[in-house]
Amino acid sequence: MVDEPQSCDSTEARQAHGRHGPPVFVARGLTKVYGTGAAPLYALRDIDLDIWQGEFLVLLGPSGSGKSTLLNILGGLDAPTSGTARWRDHELTGATDAALTQYRREHVGFVFQFYNLIPSLTVLENVRLVAQIAQDPMPPEAALDLVGLSHRLHRFPSQLSGGEQQRVAVARAIVKRPDILLCDEPTGALDADTGRLVLAAIATVNAELGTTTVVITHNSAISGMADRVLRLSSGRIASEETNPQRMPAAGITW
Amino acid sequence: MVNVLDIKVMRDLWAMRTQVLTIALLIGSGIAVFVMSVSNYLALVEAMDSHYRNERFADLFANLKRAPTSIVQRIREIDGIGVVEPRITQAVRVVRQDTDLPISGRIVSIPADSQPLLNRLHLVEGRWLDPARPDEILINEAYARARAVRPGDTIDVVLNSRLQSFRVAGVALSPEYVFATRSGLPLPDDRNLVILWAGADALAGAFDMRGAFNDLVMTLAPGASTPRVIEEIDRLLAPYGGIGAYDRSELPSHRFLEDELAEQETLSIVMPTIFFGIAAFLLNVILGRLVDAQREQIASLKALGFGNFPIALHYFKLVTVIALAGSAIGIVLGRWFATSVIESYRAFFRFPALEPKLEPWIIVVAVLASIVAANLAAGSAVYRVARLAPAEAMRPQLPVTARALPWLGRHARAGVPLQFIMALRAILGRPFRTLFTVVGIALAVPLVLFGLFWFDAIDYMIDVSFGRIERGDAFVTFSSPVSATAVYELRSVPGILSAEGQRIVAVQLRAGHRRYRTSLTGLAATSELKVPRDKELLPIAIPPDGLLMSRPLAETLALSVGDTVRVEILEGKRPVRDLTVVRLSDDILGFSATMELGALNRLLREGEVVNGAALKFDPVLADTVWRRIQDMPKVEASSVKALWITLFEETIAGMIVIGAVILSSFGLLIAVGVVYNSARVAFQERAWELASLRILGFTRSEVATILISELAFEVLLAIPIGLVAGHMLIELIVTLRARESFQIPVAIETGSYAAAALIVLAAAAASAFVVRRRIDRLDLVAVLKTRE
Repeated sequence: MVDEPQSCDSTEARQAHGRHGPPVFVARGLTKVYGTGAAPLYALRDIDLDIWQGEFLVLLGPSGSGKSTLLNILGGLDAPTSGTARWRDHELTGATDAALTQYRREHVGFVFQFYNLIPSLTVLENVRLVAQIAQDPMPPEAALDLVGLSHRLHRFPSQLSGGEQQRVAVARAIVKRPDILLCDEPTGALDADTGRLVLAAIATVNAELGTTTVVITHNSAISGMADRVLRLSSGRIASEETNPQRMPAAGITW
Repeated sequence: MVNVLDIKVMRDLWAMRTQVLTIALLIGSGIAVFVMSVSNYLALVEAMDSHYRNERFADLFANLKRAPTSIVQRIREIDGIGVVEPRITQAVRVVRQDTDLPISGRIVSIPADSQPLLNRLHLVEGRWLDPARPDEILINEAYARARAVRPGDTIDVVLNSRLQSFRVAGVALSPEYVFATRSGLPLPDDRNLVILWAGADALAGAFDMRGAFNDLVMTLAPGASTPRVIEEIDRLLAPYGGIGAYDRSELPSHRFLEDELAEQETLSIVMPTIFFGIAAFLLNVILGRLVDAQREQIASLKALGFGNFPIALHYFKLVTVIALAGSAIGIVLGRWFATSVIESYRAFFRFPALEPKLEPWIIVVAVLASIVAANLAAGSAVYRVARLAPAEAMRPQLPVTARALPWLGRHARAGVPLQFIMALRAILGRPFRTLFTVVGIALAVPLVLFGLFWFDAIDYMIDVSFGRIERGDAFVTFSSPVSATAVYELRSVPGILSAEGQRIVAVQLRAGHRRYRTSLTGLAATSELKVPRDKELLPIAIPPDGLLMSRPLAETLALSVGDTVRVEILEGKRPVRDLTVVRLSDDILGFSATMELGALNRLLREGEVVNGAALKFDPVLADTVWRRIQDMPKVEASSVKALWITLFEETIAGMIVIGAVILSSFGLLIAVGVVYNSARVAFQERAWELASLRILGFTRSEVATILISELAFEVLLAIPIGLVAGHMLIELIVTLRARESFQIPVAIETGSYAAAALIVLAAAAASAFVVRRRIDRLDLVAVLKTRE
């Protein structure tokens, strides 16, 4: 039984990215309020959202629009004030810290704005670190190959450029063959050329591994790569677009 | 207006309050030991000086058999002598209805109507003797307290084999008996030793000493030569059975007191130096790390245009507040420790007034020392950071680990978890910091070990002295030498299993310019109740001729085996003979010299006599045995081993428990201080990294493992180092406090090593646990949005 998507899905969208069947991620009435009393701050207001298997979704919006909060809830890092969020059969709302850790460990790959690599581990070790706790990881070398870094295996993060570091982060995120890849401003700290390399790596992962991918960004140029683009504003989904044709990362300019 | 940087000082202090507290406690422990040692040393010196001065303590002492008072005038004429006061003193036995156990006493004559000229008494209760009542007596305070004797009570004393009742007029303290002991043992036996002061006339009557005396106390004129005066006195008293005059240094009470003072003097320098050294070192480690962790803030302040001086001043204020808090804790703790330790001194030393002396200068020195040490520690770290260009300082300090040790990973394919590689790189990537932390933790171990060691040392001393060397249950002394038949008589007492006669004589040993007064014991070659032992505790056979000497005595006289020593017997016919040192023994208590009984008797030209006997008896019949022995006229004094052991344990245990608690708590403080602060700073430095791992799906415990394995490595490395250092520290301190009364063996049980290790480990674990709880509260979301 699948709920009919209310605000952010359409038959065309499903057809556009060629995925059928039930959505893997289902959120209903997600609301997140910071602070209480006279002036509560609404980060999310009653959001409904479905995400399908293999979909490349871009969440677009200025800072304060709620996109990070939404990503944090999707990633099991934050809990909504009300509403429900479910990943396949994992109920994310009300789950214990241990259950959320387990969820992140088994299903989620994260890419951070500032890479968050472990400085005392080499490139290969950073990737292997996550492979070590995954159930069915790909070889770390293969993950690095996928992002074009097989020649940098034994460098330390401080010996790499920002773009290279972010690609290591992508490799680290995908080595566990995650079901969903969550990227938080992955190009935020990078120049355009380097940013494109990173986006290309993410697109490759989405295409070749079929990993459901959610990228949040305030850079609207990136939306061309997506199957679907959600614009957030003041904690609400302001608009939803489906790209009939996805643009390759190399074709994006900003 | 309040300076904004000062507000930052307050906020920083509050934010780091646990760290601040642990650092302040560390400073506090250094200060506490300093305050305690110095104020106690001053207290003892002050108590001794004023007691000696107020009661006109004599400089010279002489015992003899009996001399007419007319001789006193001739002694007064000796050049360099001051006041001369003849007395009568005698060993006596006190009889109590409530115990069959022997109570030894020493009775000393005083003028019935006034204070003596020298060694005056400090009355603490009651009044002086009534000249009209010859049966009145004053008693020493220690015994009065121990046996609850009050003025008005009666005391039964065996004087010259006659039982006589005295009425206690008052309770007094004497500079001659600050530390009252009747044997070489370094313990006051308050319950079984009493000092009695009786009117001179009454004593002269009882001991048939009218117009005569057997004891002299004297002062020296300023600038007099002690050896020359002693020589003159000895010459004059020799015909009257004088056994040689001596100065304060050979009076047991003063000797023990001097020993204690010398030890306190050493310890009041050594211990605070060690403690303060440790505290200063740890401050360097902890405050250094604390400042390092603020390098970005320092860089930002510099970038904003703050000069080095206001920044340095800012950290000076921060650190000084911590140092002041530490000194305050230290002074309060130190005063408290001082009071407890002084309390335990009171059981040993009887002074009219003994109070810890917390002189203002001690406080000033303590506060200054802590401020200087803390600022030196933090200053070097601030200087390091302030020297950097702001931009450089703002960059995270991590490339050290990044550059280091890529090879570690090459060996990790065999399944070594990468968390351990991370921990290892963190440890080895900053070897100096790791070293400092390891040394810091290691320093905690010796203190705990030192605290525990005392229990082992006491057990060992009891085992060796009372279990292996003195194997009898009791020892009786005869008032004069008796023939061997007296020993047979003792053996025939029902309940006595064996009795072995000994001959103990006062001697002066001379080797070159060194001399030492002690007693020489004659033991039968077959002696089983007293067995001298070597270092391995193996029995030493009594050599048929020559001297068996305890090692410390030989060291004092700079003698070794094969050397000759001049033995001057101080009683009887006073023969002088050169004897060879044939063997050294390793006693713990006292400085002893032993020879074969027959050989000693030949030397004395006295025939087959003894003046003491070691006894072994059936414990069930102990009461009967003592009742029989009490009735033997010649038995002058007795001592019971079981009582000694109890006394030893009771008196010393109190001091040791205080010491052990103080030292162990400092050890714990250090362990907690170092581990907590290291963990806290490591956590602070790596919170971002650890939170990233949590987001990537690592569980709380997996993340904690990284931080904790780093700590565990340091702690596990530190403990063995600490145990070795502990052993060395104990050897050092034992050597420094080596003194005549007793030698403390460096006998540390395996259990104590294990306990010290476990205690430090537990302190470390507790600190790690506190930090672990911070990992549980990591803010994961913040990490996504901030650059490290």
